[in-house]
Amino acid sequence: MRIPLAVSVSIHAAVLAWGLISFGAKPLETTPGDSLPIDIISDTDFSQLTAGVKNAQKVVKPAPLVEKIDKPNPVDDSTAKVTPKQEIKTASAMPMPVPEVKPPEPKQEPEKAKAPEPDPIAEALKKEEAKRKQEEKKREEQKRKEEAKKREEEKKRKEQEQAFDPNKIAALLDKRSPQRLAAAGATLNSTPSLGLPSGSAATLSQSEIDALRAQIQACWNPPAGVVDAKELIVRIRLQLREDGSLSANPTLLNHGSNSLFQIAAESAMRAIKRCQPYKLPIAKYAIWRDVEVTFDPREMFRG
Amino acid sequence: MEQLPGVAAEISILHLFWKADWVVKLVMMGLLAASVGVWAIAIDKFILYRRTRQAMKHFENVFWSGQSLEDLYRALAARPTDSMAALFVAAMREWKRSFEGPHPAIASLQMRLEKVMDVTIQREVERLEKWLLVLATVGSASPFIGLFGTVWGIMNSFQAIAVSKNTSLAVVAPGIAEALLATAIGLVAAIPATIFYNKFSSEVNKQATRLEGFADEFSAILSRQIDERV
Repeated sequence: MRIPLAVSVSIHAAVLAWGLISFGAKPLETTPGDSLPIDIISDTDFSQLTAGVKNAQKVVKPAPLVEKIDKPNPVDDSTAKVTPKQEIKTASAMPMPVPEVKPPEPKQEPEKAKAPEPDPIAEALKKEEAKRKQEEKKREEQKRKEEAKKREEEKKRKEQEQAFDPNKIAALLDKRSPQRLAAAGATLNSTPSLGLPSGSAATLSQSEIDALRAQIQACWNPPAGVVDAKELIVRIRLQLREDGSLSANPTLLNHGSNSLFQIAAESAMRAIKRCQPYKLPIAKYAIWRDVEVTFDPREMFRG
Repeated sequence: MEQLPGVAAEISILHLFWKADWVVKLVMMGLLAASVGVWAIAIDKFILYRRTRQAMKHFENVFWSGQSLEDLYRALAARPTDSMAALFVAAMREWKRSFEGPHPAIASLQMRLEKVMDVTIQREVERLEKWLLVLATVGSASPFIGLFGTVWGIMNSFQAIAVSKNTSLAVVAPGIAEALLATAIGLVAAIPATIFYNKFSSEVNKQATRLEGFADEFSAILSRQIDERV
Protein backbone atom coordinates (compact mmCIF):
# COMPACT_ATOMS: atom_id res chain seq x y z
CA MET A 1 0.00 0.00 0.00
CA ARG A 2 2.92 2.31 0.59
CA ILE A 3 4.22 2.17 -2.94
CA PRO A 4 0.83 2.85 -4.55
CA LEU A 5 0.34 5.77 -2.17
CA ALA A 6 3.73 7.20 -3.16
CA VAL A 7 2.85 6.73 -6.82
CA SER A 8 -0.49 8.41 -6.33
CA VAL A 9 1.03 11.36 -4.47
CA SER A 10 3.67 11.81 -7.13
CA ILE A 11 1.05 11.69 -9.92
CA HIS A 12 -1.02 14.33 -8.16
CA ALA A 13 2.00 16.49 -7.58
CA ALA A 14 2.91 16.22 -11.25
CA VAL A 15 -0.63 17.11 -12.38
CA LEU A 16 -0.75 20.08 -10.00
CA ALA A 17 2.64 21.29 -11.15
CA TRP A 18 1.53 21.00 -14.77
CA GLY A 19 -1.64 22.94 -13.90
CA LEU A 20 0.33 25.67 -12.16
CA ILE A 21 2.70 26.00 -15.06
CA SER A 22 0.13 25.89 -17.82
CA PHE A 23 -2.32 28.22 -16.06
CA GLY A 24 0.20 30.38 -14.28
CA ALA A 25 2.35 31.05 -17.31
CA LYS A 26 -0.37 32.99 -19.05
CA PRO A 27 -2.78 34.62 -16.66
CA LEU A 28 -6.09 35.04 -18.39
CA GLU A 29 -5.86 38.69 -19.11
CA THR A 30 -8.79 40.15 -20.90
CA THR A 31 -7.80 42.33 -23.79
CA PRO A 32 -8.87 45.80 -22.84
CA GLY A 33 -11.59 47.01 -25.15
CA ASP A 34 -11.82 50.49 -26.55
CA SER A 35 -13.91 52.71 -24.41
CA LEU A 36 -17.04 54.02 -26.02
CA PRO A 37 -18.27 57.49 -25.20
CA ILE A 38 -21.76 57.14 -23.85
CA ASP A 39 -24.28 59.92 -23.46
CA ILE A 40 -27.19 59.38 -21.20
CA ILE A 41 -30.30 60.93 -22.64
CA SER A 42 -33.81 61.08 -21.37
CA ASP A 43 -36.65 59.42 -23.22
CA THR A 44 -37.82 62.82 -24.32
CA ASP A 45 -34.48 63.46 -25.93
CA PHE A 46 -34.66 60.08 -27.53
CA SER A 47 -38.11 60.67 -28.94
CA GLN A 48 -36.90 63.92 -30.43
CA LEU A 49 -34.03 62.24 -32.22
CA THR A 50 -34.47 61.83 -35.91
CA ALA A 51 -33.67 58.44 -37.26
CA GLY A 52 -30.59 58.15 -39.41
CA VAL A 53 -27.76 55.99 -40.53
CA LYS A 54 -24.64 56.01 -38.42
CA ASN A 55 -22.18 56.20 -41.28
CA ALA A 56 -24.17 58.55 -43.45
CA GLN A 57 -22.57 61.68 -44.82
CA LYS A 58 -22.75 64.70 -42.66
CA VAL A 59 -25.20 67.21 -43.96
CA VAL A 60 -25.48 70.86 -43.24
CA LYS A 61 -27.53 71.51 -40.17
CA PRO A 62 -31.04 72.47 -41.21
CA ALA A 63 -31.59 76.14 -40.70
CA PRO A 64 -34.88 77.95 -40.29
CA LEU A 65 -36.25 80.03 -43.11
CA VAL A 66 -34.81 83.51 -42.98
CA GLU A 67 -35.65 86.16 -45.50
CA LYS A 68 -33.94 89.11 -43.95
CA ILE A 69 -31.26 89.56 -41.43
CA ASP A 70 -32.77 90.82 -38.25
CA LYS A 71 -33.75 89.71 -34.82
CA PRO A 72 -35.70 86.45 -35.15
CA ASN A 73 -39.41 87.02 -35.15
CA PRO A 74 -42.11 84.41 -34.81
CA VAL A 75 -43.19 83.01 -38.12
CA ASP A 76 -46.91 83.01 -38.55
CA ASP A 77 -48.13 79.52 -38.98
CA SER A 78 -50.20 79.49 -42.09
CA THR A 79 -51.79 76.20 -41.13
CA ALA A 80 -52.84 77.34 -37.73
CA LYS A 81 -56.45 78.24 -37.54
CA VAL A 82 -56.11 80.19 -34.38
CA THR A 83 -54.13 83.32 -34.92
CA PRO A 84 -53.57 86.12 -32.55
CA LYS A 85 -56.17 88.74 -33.12
CA GLN A 86 -54.86 91.45 -35.33
CA GLU A 87 -55.73 94.96 -34.57
CA ILE A 88 -57.99 96.13 -37.28
CA LYS A 89 -57.59 99.74 -38.12
CA THR A 90 -60.94 101.11 -38.92
CA ALA A 91 -61.37 103.92 -41.34
CA SER A 92 -62.68 106.23 -38.69
CA ALA A 93 -59.71 105.68 -36.48
CA MET A 94 -57.26 106.43 -39.22
CA PRO A 95 -56.07 109.99 -39.33
CA MET A 96 -57.76 111.73 -42.22
CA PRO A 97 -55.41 113.14 -44.76
CA VAL A 98 -55.41 116.79 -44.11
CA PRO A 99 -56.41 118.53 -47.29
CA GLU A 100 -54.39 121.41 -48.29
CA VAL A 101 -56.41 124.34 -47.21
CA LYS A 102 -56.34 126.85 -49.89
CA PRO A 103 -56.54 130.37 -48.70
CA PRO A 104 -59.97 131.56 -49.53
CA GLU A 105 -59.85 133.52 -52.67
CA PRO A 106 -60.70 137.04 -51.93
CA LYS A 107 -63.90 138.09 -53.48
CA GLN A 108 -63.74 140.22 -56.46
CA GLU A 109 -64.16 143.64 -55.09
CA PRO A 110 -66.54 145.89 -56.83
CA GLU A 111 -63.86 148.51 -56.66
CA LYS A 112 -62.17 146.70 -59.50
CA ALA A 113 -64.22 148.59 -61.97
CA LYS A 114 -62.91 151.78 -60.72
CA ALA A 115 -59.45 150.91 -61.70
CA PRO A 116 -58.52 153.91 -63.74
CA GLU A 117 -59.19 156.13 -60.85
CA PRO A 118 -55.94 157.19 -59.49
CA ASP A 119 -56.91 156.47 -56.10
CA PRO A 120 -54.54 155.51 -53.36
CA ILE A 121 -56.94 152.79 -52.50
CA ALA A 122 -57.13 151.72 -56.11
CA GLU A 123 -53.43 151.89 -56.32
CA ALA A 124 -53.13 149.74 -53.35
CA LEU A 125 -55.67 147.35 -54.75
CA LYS A 126 -53.88 147.19 -58.02
CA LYS A 127 -50.72 146.49 -56.29
CA GLU A 128 -52.40 143.84 -54.34
CA GLU A 129 -53.89 142.33 -57.41
CA ALA A 130 -50.58 142.28 -59.16
CA LYS A 131 -49.17 140.58 -56.16
CA ARG A 132 -51.94 138.07 -56.13
CA LYS A 133 -51.52 137.39 -59.80
CA GLN A 134 -47.91 136.85 -59.28
CA GLU A 135 -48.64 134.49 -56.46
CA GLU A 136 -51.15 132.65 -58.56
CA LYS A 137 -48.64 132.31 -61.30
CA LYS A 138 -46.13 131.01 -58.90
CA ARG A 139 -48.56 128.51 -57.54
CA GLU A 140 -49.50 127.33 -60.98
CA GLU A 141 -45.91 126.85 -61.85
CA GLN A 142 -45.36 124.89 -58.73
CA LYS A 143 -48.35 122.76 -59.51
CA ARG A 144 -47.05 122.06 -62.95
CA LYS A 145 -43.72 121.19 -61.56
CA GLU A 146 -45.27 118.84 -59.15
CA GLU A 147 -47.31 117.21 -61.83
CA ALA A 148 -44.23 116.75 -63.98
CA LYS A 149 -42.44 115.25 -61.09
CA LYS A 150 -45.33 112.93 -60.44
CA ARG A 151 -45.45 111.89 -64.05
CA GLU A 152 -41.78 111.29 -64.08
CA GLU A 153 -42.03 109.16 -60.98
CA GLU A 154 -44.84 107.18 -62.42
CA LYS A 155 -42.88 106.67 -65.56
CA LYS A 156 -39.95 105.54 -63.57
CA ARG A 157 -42.08 103.17 -61.56
CA LYS A 158 -43.61 101.75 -64.70
CA GLU A 159 -40.22 101.27 -66.15
CA GLN A 160 -39.15 99.57 -63.05
CA GLU A 161 -42.14 97.31 -63.06
CA GLN A 162 -41.71 96.35 -66.64
CA ALA A 163 -38.00 95.76 -66.50
CA PHE A 164 -37.36 92.02 -66.61
CA ASP A 165 -34.56 91.10 -64.33
CA PRO A 166 -33.66 87.41 -64.71
CA ASN A 167 -32.14 87.49 -61.27
CA LYS A 168 -35.46 88.28 -59.72
CA ILE A 169 -37.52 85.44 -61.11
CA ALA A 170 -38.03 84.01 -57.67
CA ALA A 171 -39.18 87.35 -56.40
CA LEU A 172 -41.48 87.75 -59.39
CA LEU A 173 -42.93 84.33 -58.86
CA ASP A 174 -43.44 85.04 -55.21
CA LYS A 175 -47.16 85.21 -54.70
CA ARG A 176 -46.92 86.32 -51.13
CA SER A 177 -47.88 89.79 -50.40
CA PRO A 178 -44.94 92.10 -50.18
CA GLN A 179 -46.46 93.60 -47.06
CA ARG A 180 -46.11 90.37 -45.08
CA LEU A 181 -43.91 90.05 -42.06
CA ALA A 182 -40.69 88.64 -43.39
CA ALA A 183 -39.11 85.81 -41.42
CA ALA A 184 -36.09 87.31 -39.83
CA GLY A 185 -33.05 85.60 -38.49
CA ALA A 186 -29.34 85.77 -38.14
CA THR A 187 -28.47 84.44 -41.58
CA LEU A 188 -30.35 84.41 -44.82
CA ASN A 189 -31.76 81.06 -45.77
CA SER A 190 -34.25 80.65 -48.56
CA THR A 191 -34.73 76.89 -48.21
CA PRO A 192 -36.24 76.09 -44.86
CA SER A 193 -35.93 72.62 -43.40
CA LEU A 194 -38.90 70.36 -43.19
CA GLY A 195 -40.36 70.64 -39.77
CA LEU A 196 -42.65 72.38 -37.43
CA PRO A 197 -43.25 76.10 -37.78
CA SER A 198 -41.93 76.60 -34.28
CA GLY A 199 -38.65 75.03 -35.25
CA SER A 200 -38.31 72.89 -32.16
CA ALA A 201 -39.33 69.26 -32.00
CA ALA A 202 -41.53 69.41 -28.98
CA THR A 203 -43.42 66.39 -27.79
CA LEU A 204 -45.93 65.88 -25.10
CA SER A 205 -44.20 64.22 -22.24
CA GLN A 206 -45.74 61.22 -20.55
CA SER A 207 -46.90 63.29 -17.61
CA GLU A 208 -48.61 65.75 -19.94
CA ILE A 209 -50.35 62.94 -21.76
CA ASP A 210 -51.38 61.63 -18.38
CA ALA A 211 -52.66 65.04 -17.45
CA LEU A 212 -54.85 65.19 -20.52
CA ARG A 213 -55.96 61.65 -19.85
CA ALA A 214 -56.86 62.43 -16.27
CA GLN A 215 -58.78 65.54 -17.31
CA ILE A 216 -60.87 63.64 -19.82
CA GLN A 217 -61.26 60.66 -17.57
CA ALA A 218 -62.79 62.81 -14.86
CA CYS A 219 -65.81 63.48 -17.09
CA TRP A 220 -66.13 60.14 -18.81
CA ASN A 221 -68.76 57.64 -17.81
CA PRO A 222 -67.61 54.57 -19.66
CA PRO A 223 -70.32 52.12 -20.66
CA ALA A 224 -70.26 49.79 -17.68
CA GLY A 225 -70.71 46.07 -17.79
CA VAL A 226 -70.48 45.54 -21.51
CA VAL A 227 -69.51 42.16 -22.85
CA ASP A 228 -67.18 42.88 -25.73
CA ALA A 229 -65.33 45.86 -24.39
CA LYS A 230 -62.71 45.35 -27.07
CA GLU A 231 -65.20 46.32 -29.75
CA LEU A 232 -66.06 49.54 -27.97
CA ILE A 233 -62.71 51.23 -28.41
CA VAL A 234 -63.44 54.73 -29.63
CA ARG A 235 -60.84 56.95 -31.27
CA ILE A 236 -61.63 60.62 -31.38
CA ARG A 237 -59.80 63.53 -32.88
CA LEU A 238 -59.68 66.67 -30.81
CA GLN A 239 -58.89 70.09 -32.12
CA LEU A 240 -58.09 72.54 -29.40
CA ARG A 241 -57.58 76.22 -29.07
CA GLU A 242 -54.72 77.72 -27.22
CA ASP A 243 -56.90 78.24 -24.19
CA GLY A 244 -57.65 74.53 -24.13
CA SER A 245 -61.20 74.73 -25.40
CA LEU A 246 -62.41 72.83 -28.43
CA SER A 247 -61.98 74.68 -31.67
CA ALA A 248 -64.15 72.25 -33.58
CA ASN A 249 -66.51 69.43 -32.87
CA PRO A 250 -64.54 66.30 -32.02
CA THR A 251 -64.65 63.82 -34.86
CA LEU A 252 -65.03 60.11 -34.56
CA LEU A 253 -62.19 58.27 -36.28
CA ASN A 254 -63.32 54.66 -36.15
CA HIS A 255 -66.56 52.82 -36.41
CA GLY A 256 -67.68 49.66 -34.76
CA SER A 257 -70.11 46.96 -35.63
CA ASN A 258 -71.20 46.49 -32.07
CA SER A 259 -74.65 47.77 -31.29
CA LEU A 260 -73.31 49.53 -28.24
CA PHE A 261 -70.57 51.30 -30.14
CA GLN A 262 -72.68 54.35 -30.85
CA ILE A 263 -73.45 54.69 -27.17
CA ALA A 264 -69.79 54.41 -26.26
CA ALA A 265 -68.83 56.93 -28.91
CA GLU A 266 -71.43 59.37 -27.70
CA SER A 267 -70.32 59.01 -24.10
CA ALA A 268 -66.76 59.74 -25.18
CA MET A 269 -67.88 62.78 -27.15
CA ARG A 270 -69.83 64.05 -24.17
CA ALA A 271 -66.81 63.59 -21.94
CA ILE A 272 -64.62 65.58 -24.29
CA LYS A 273 -67.11 68.40 -24.60
CA ARG A 274 -67.84 68.53 -20.91
CA CYS A 275 -64.26 68.72 -19.76
CA GLN A 276 -63.02 71.60 -21.81
CA PRO A 277 -61.05 73.75 -21.43
CA TYR A 278 -58.08 71.44 -20.95
CA LYS A 279 -55.06 72.65 -19.13
CA LEU A 280 -51.99 71.85 -21.18
CA PRO A 281 -48.62 73.54 -21.55
CA ILE A 282 -49.07 76.44 -23.92
CA ALA A 283 -45.48 76.06 -25.14
CA LYS A 284 -46.39 72.81 -26.80
CA TYR A 285 -49.60 74.01 -28.37
CA ALA A 286 -48.36 72.90 -31.75
CA ILE A 287 -48.48 69.34 -30.50
CA TRP A 288 -51.80 69.28 -28.74
CA ARG A 289 -53.57 71.54 -31.17
CA ASP A 290 -54.75 68.42 -32.93
CA VAL A 291 -54.63 65.20 -30.93
CA GLU A 292 -56.12 61.78 -31.18
CA VAL A 293 -57.50 60.21 -28.04
CA THR A 294 -58.39 56.56 -27.64
CA PHE A 295 -61.17 55.58 -25.28
CA ASP A 296 -60.79 52.00 -24.21
CA PRO A 297 -63.41 50.78 -21.74
CA ARG A 298 -61.11 47.92 -20.72
CA GLU A 299 -58.48 50.12 -19.18
CA MET A 300 -60.73 53.08 -18.72
CA PHE A 301 -58.90 55.02 -21.32
CA ARG A 302 -55.67 55.61 -23.08
CA GLY A 303 -54.33 58.85 -24.55
CA MET B 1 -8.97 56.05 -27.66
CA GLU B 2 -8.85 55.69 -23.95
CA GLN B 3 -7.92 52.24 -22.80
CA LEU B 4 -10.03 50.62 -20.18
CA PRO B 5 -8.13 49.14 -17.29
CA GLY B 6 -7.55 45.49 -18.06
CA VAL B 7 -8.73 42.84 -15.67
CA ALA B 8 -5.46 41.80 -14.11
CA ALA B 9 -6.98 39.18 -11.82
CA GLU B 10 -4.81 36.09 -11.67
CA ILE B 11 -6.60 32.88 -12.43
CA SER B 12 -3.73 30.55 -11.55
CA ILE B 13 -4.74 27.59 -9.41
CA LEU B 14 -2.36 28.45 -6.59
CA HIS B 15 -3.61 32.04 -6.49
CA LEU B 16 -7.21 30.90 -6.40
CA PHE B 17 -6.38 28.49 -3.60
CA TRP B 18 -4.61 31.08 -1.47
CA LYS B 19 -7.35 33.65 -1.88
CA ALA B 20 -10.11 31.25 -0.84
CA ASP B 21 -11.82 31.22 2.52
CA TRP B 22 -10.44 28.75 5.12
CA VAL B 23 -13.54 26.55 4.88
CA VAL B 24 -13.10 26.34 1.14
CA LYS B 25 -9.40 25.69 1.65
CA LEU B 26 -10.20 22.85 4.03
CA VAL B 27 -12.66 21.38 1.55
CA MET B 28 -10.09 21.61 -1.23
CA MET B 29 -7.39 19.99 0.90
CA GLY B 30 -9.75 17.20 1.94
CA LEU B 31 -10.77 16.57 -1.63
CA LEU B 32 -7.17 16.55 -2.75
CA ALA B 33 -6.33 14.02 -0.06
CA ALA B 34 -9.32 11.93 -1.12
CA SER B 35 -8.11 12.04 -4.70
CA VAL B 36 -4.65 10.95 -3.64
CA GLY B 37 -6.17 8.13 -1.60
CA VAL B 38 -8.42 7.04 -4.46
CA TRP B 39 -5.51 6.79 -6.84
CA ALA B 40 -3.37 4.98 -4.29
CA ILE B 41 -6.12 2.43 -3.70
CA ALA B 42 -6.73 2.12 -7.41
CA ILE B 43 -3.07 1.42 -8.15
CA ASP B 44 -2.85 -1.01 -5.26
CA LYS B 45 -6.01 -2.88 -6.31
CA PHE B 46 -5.02 -2.93 -9.93
CA ILE B 47 -1.75 -4.62 -9.03
CA LEU B 48 -3.44 -6.95 -6.55
CA TYR B 49 -6.15 -8.14 -8.93
CA ARG B 50 -3.75 -8.73 -11.76
CA ARG B 51 -1.49 -10.73 -9.49
CA THR B 52 -4.45 -12.72 -8.11
CA ARG B 53 -5.74 -13.42 -11.58
CA GLN B 54 -2.37 -14.65 -12.75
CA ALA B 55 -1.83 -16.75 -9.59
CA MET B 56 -5.26 -18.37 -9.97
CA LYS B 57 -4.53 -19.21 -13.58
CA HIS B 58 -1.16 -20.65 -12.58
CA PHE B 59 -2.65 -22.66 -9.69
CA GLU B 60 -5.46 -24.06 -11.84
CA ASN B 61 -2.88 -25.13 -14.43
CA VAL B 62 -0.84 -26.88 -11.75
CA PHE B 63 -3.92 -28.36 -10.06
CA TRP B 64 -5.36 -29.87 -13.25
CA SER B 65 -1.95 -31.04 -14.48
CA GLY B 66 -2.43 -34.38 -12.75
CA GLN B 67 0.13 -33.68 -10.05
CA SER B 68 -0.39 -35.44 -6.73
CA LEU B 69 -2.52 -33.32 -4.36
CA GLU B 70 -0.29 -34.36 -1.49
CA ASP B 71 2.77 -32.98 -3.26
CA LEU B 72 0.95 -29.83 -4.11
CA TYR B 73 -0.19 -29.43 -0.52
CA ARG B 74 3.30 -29.93 0.74
CA ALA B 75 4.64 -27.34 -1.63
CA LEU B 76 1.98 -24.73 -0.73
CA ALA B 77 1.25 -25.42 2.93
CA ALA B 78 4.00 -23.20 4.25
CA ARG B 79 2.83 -20.08 2.48
CA PRO B 80 -0.23 -20.04 0.27
CA THR B 81 0.55 -17.50 -2.46
CA ASP B 82 -2.98 -16.67 -3.59
CA SER B 83 -6.60 -17.03 -2.68
CA MET B 84 -7.18 -20.21 -4.62
CA ALA B 85 -4.10 -21.83 -3.07
CA ALA B 86 -5.29 -20.70 0.33
CA LEU B 87 -8.64 -22.33 -0.36
CA PHE B 88 -6.88 -25.54 -1.40
CA VAL B 89 -4.59 -25.52 1.61
CA ALA B 90 -7.47 -24.90 4.04
CA ALA B 91 -9.48 -27.81 2.62
CA MET B 92 -6.46 -30.14 2.55
CA ARG B 93 -5.55 -29.21 6.09
CA GLU B 94 -9.03 -30.13 7.30
CA TRP B 95 -8.90 -33.36 5.30
CA LYS B 96 -5.54 -34.38 6.74
CA ARG B 97 -6.58 -33.46 10.25
CA SER B 98 -9.64 -35.69 9.95
CA PHE B 99 -7.51 -38.74 9.04
CA GLU B 100 -4.61 -38.05 11.42
CA GLY B 101 -6.18 -39.22 14.69
CA PRO B 102 -6.85 -42.82 15.75
CA HIS B 103 -10.51 -42.38 14.91
CA PRO B 104 -10.95 -40.84 11.50
CA ALA B 105 -13.88 -38.44 11.63
CA ILE B 106 -15.42 -39.07 8.26
CA ALA B 107 -19.13 -38.87 9.06
CA SER B 108 -19.52 -35.09 8.59
CA LEU B 109 -16.21 -34.42 6.85
CA GLN B 110 -17.99 -33.25 3.69
CA MET B 111 -19.90 -30.61 5.62
CA ARG B 112 -16.80 -29.47 7.46
CA LEU B 113 -14.82 -29.16 4.25
CA GLU B 114 -17.53 -26.99 2.69
CA LYS B 115 -17.67 -24.81 5.79
CA VAL B 116 -13.92 -24.37 5.79
CA MET B 117 -13.88 -23.49 2.10
CA ASP B 118 -16.78 -21.03 2.53
CA VAL B 119 -14.96 -19.29 5.31
CA THR B 120 -11.79 -19.14 3.25
CA ILE B 121 -13.65 -17.72 0.26
CA GLN B 122 -15.23 -15.09 2.49
CA ARG B 123 -11.87 -14.15 3.93
CA GLU B 124 -10.28 -13.94 0.51
CA VAL B 125 -13.13 -11.82 -0.89
CA GLU B 126 -12.85 -9.58 2.12
CA ARG B 127 -9.17 -9.14 1.39
CA LEU B 128 -9.90 -8.31 -2.23
CA GLU B 129 -12.68 -5.89 -1.27
CA LYS B 130 -10.62 -4.05 1.31
CA TRP B 131 -10.59 -0.26 0.71
CA LEU B 132 -13.09 -0.56 -2.13
CA LEU B 133 -15.72 1.09 0.07
CA VAL B 134 -13.48 4.14 0.26
CA LEU B 135 -13.73 4.46 -3.52
CA ALA B 136 -17.51 4.20 -3.35
CA THR B 137 -17.70 6.81 -0.61
CA VAL B 138 -15.41 9.24 -2.38
CA GLY B 139 -17.26 8.72 -5.64
CA SER B 140 -20.62 9.57 -4.15
CA ALA B 141 -19.70 12.14 -1.51
CA SER B 142 -16.96 14.27 -2.99
CA PRO B 143 -19.19 16.10 -5.52
CA PHE B 144 -21.33 17.18 -2.62
CA ILE B 145 -18.32 18.22 -0.59
CA GLY B 146 -17.04 20.21 -3.56
CA LEU B 147 -20.46 21.76 -4.01
CA PHE B 148 -20.47 22.74 -0.38
CA GLY B 149 -17.12 24.47 -0.87
CA THR B 150 -18.50 26.26 -3.91
CA VAL B 151 -21.64 27.41 -2.16
CA TRP B 152 -19.58 28.66 0.76
CA GLY B 153 -17.20 30.48 -1.54
CA ILE B 154 -20.00 32.07 -3.55
CA MET B 155 -21.69 33.18 -0.34
CA ASN B 156 -18.46 34.85 0.70
CA SER B 157 -17.92 36.46 -2.66
CA PHE B 158 -21.47 37.80 -2.72
CA GLN B 159 -20.91 39.30 0.68
CA ALA B 160 -17.75 40.89 -0.69
CA ILE B 161 -19.75 42.27 -3.62
CA ALA B 162 -22.35 43.67 -1.27
CA VAL B 163 -19.64 45.38 0.73
CA SER B 164 -17.87 46.83 -2.31
CA LYS B 165 -21.21 47.90 -3.85
CA ASN B 166 -19.80 47.12 -7.25
CA THR B 167 -21.26 44.54 -9.56
CA SER B 168 -18.64 44.63 -12.27
CA LEU B 169 -17.40 41.32 -13.57
CA ALA B 170 -13.93 42.02 -12.22
CA VAL B 171 -15.34 41.97 -8.70
CA VAL B 172 -17.63 39.00 -9.14
CA ALA B 173 -15.48 36.71 -11.23
CA PRO B 174 -12.50 35.85 -8.99
CA GLY B 175 -14.66 34.84 -6.04
CA ILE B 176 -16.84 32.63 -8.16
CA ALA B 177 -13.82 31.14 -9.94
CA GLU B 178 -12.18 30.22 -6.66
CA ALA B 179 -15.45 28.80 -5.39
CA LEU B 180 -15.92 26.74 -8.52
CA LEU B 181 -12.42 25.33 -8.07
CA ALA B 182 -13.78 23.37 -5.10
CA THR B 183 -16.43 21.71 -7.28
CA ALA B 184 -13.81 21.01 -9.91
CA ILE B 185 -11.57 19.25 -7.39
CA GLY B 186 -14.55 17.34 -6.05
CA LEU B 187 -15.39 16.11 -9.54
CA VAL B 188 -11.74 15.30 -10.24
CA ALA B 189 -11.74 13.10 -7.16
CA ALA B 190 -15.20 11.61 -7.71
CA ILE B 191 -15.07 10.60 -11.36
CA PRO B 192 -12.06 8.23 -11.12
CA ALA B 193 -13.33 6.92 -7.80
CA THR B 194 -16.68 5.94 -9.30
CA ILE B 195 -15.10 4.40 -12.38
CA PHE B 196 -12.57 2.42 -10.32
CA TYR B 197 -15.20 1.30 -7.86
CA ASN B 198 -17.41 -0.10 -10.60
CA LYS B 199 -14.51 -1.81 -12.31
CA PHE B 200 -13.03 -3.28 -9.14
CA SER B 201 -16.31 -4.46 -7.65
CA SER B 202 -17.09 -6.37 -10.84
CA GLU B 203 -13.55 -7.79 -10.71
CA VAL B 204 -14.09 -8.93 -7.12
CA ASN B 205 -17.38 -10.55 -8.12
CA LYS B 206 -15.66 -12.37 -10.97
CA GLN B 207 -12.87 -13.66 -8.74
CA ALA B 208 -15.33 -14.71 -6.01
CA THR B 209 -17.33 -16.67 -8.57
CA ARG B 210 -14.15 -18.31 -9.78
CA LEU B 211 -13.19 -19.25 -6.22
CA GLU B 212 -16.65 -20.65 -5.56
CA GLY B 213 -16.46 -22.66 -8.76
CA PHE B 214 -13.10 -24.08 -7.75
CA ALA B 215 -14.38 -24.80 -4.25
CA ASP B 216 -17.37 -26.71 -5.67
CA GLU B 217 -15.15 -28.73 -7.97
CA PHE B 218 -12.62 -29.47 -5.22
CA SER B 219 -15.33 -30.44 -2.78
CA ALA B 220 -16.76 -32.77 -5.43
CA ILE B 221 -13.33 -34.45 -5.79
CA LEU B 222 -12.90 -34.74 -2.02
CA SER B 223 -16.44 -36.07 -1.61
CA ARG B 224 -15.65 -38.81 -4.15
CA GLN B 225 -12.48 -39.65 -2.17
CA ILE B 226 -14.45 -39.85 1.09
CA ASP B 227 -17.07 -42.12 -0.42
CA GLU B 228 -14.33 -44.40 -1.85
CA ARG B 229 -12.64 -44.73 1.55
CA VAL B 230 -15.75 -45.48 3.59
